[in-house]
Amino acid sequence: MLRIVIQVLGILVLVLVVTIATLRFDNRDADGPSILFPGGALVSGELYAGPEPDWTFTDDVFTIELQLLDPLSSRTIFVMESNGKVYVPSGYMRSFLGRIWKDWAFQADAGDGLAVARINGVRYERQLVRVKNPAVIEGVAAKLAQKYAGGNTPEAVAAIAQSVSDGDTWIFEMAPRTGGAS
Amino acid sequence: MKTRNYLMLCGGITVVLILALLYVPPFSDAVEQLMLAFLSTNAR
Repeated sequence: MLRIVIQVLGILVLVLVVTIATLRFDNRDADGPSILFPGGALVSGELYAGPEPDWTFTDDVFTIELQLLDPLSSRTIFVMESNGKVYVPSGYMRSFLGRIWKDWAFQADAGDGLAVARINGVRYERQLVRVKNPAVIEGVAAKLAQKYAGGNTPEAVAAIAQSVSDGDTWIFEMAPRTGGAS
Repeated sequence: MKTRNYLMLCGGITVVLILALLYVPPFSDAVEQLMLAFLSTNAR
């Protein structure tokens, strides 16, 4: 009986490991991420050049593709516009699984944050800057709740703001690149 | 199950799973959605 249990467990572990390894390997150099697994550099799509866009168009965009330059990898992520600026969130930052799943956020925060966002097929060169200012977070939390949490009720906004304050959720502004960044 | 048969079963599962994930996009998408749902629920 024990032998059978061990064999079944072995097959379950095998299926999980093979699935993760295969999907990660298959996406590693792709032009963009898959649903869950990181992809490679965002190659296709027009590279935006011009004045700072009116980011309110992202209100109609559910997810975007976001690529870090170092390390070079891309993922699918939520997007929120608030007061003319555009932001991306990273949740589950204090949990064990979150630390593995959201490693990009740690890398962006520790590194230079240089990134490329592809939105509706257009690529934007940006720089990720982690935001902690409560005044800014309040507006971002309202948009996050409105787009992804079923409505920006005071309770939902407060819960998100608290999550940011506690460090469970990180918010990055996708700021214009500063001089010298390339 | 004897070890030899078990290893053959594991090998077969591995080959079929890899081929399905690589060449049947709806299958891999469904698997990824399941994994995303699991993480969203359990990564708190």
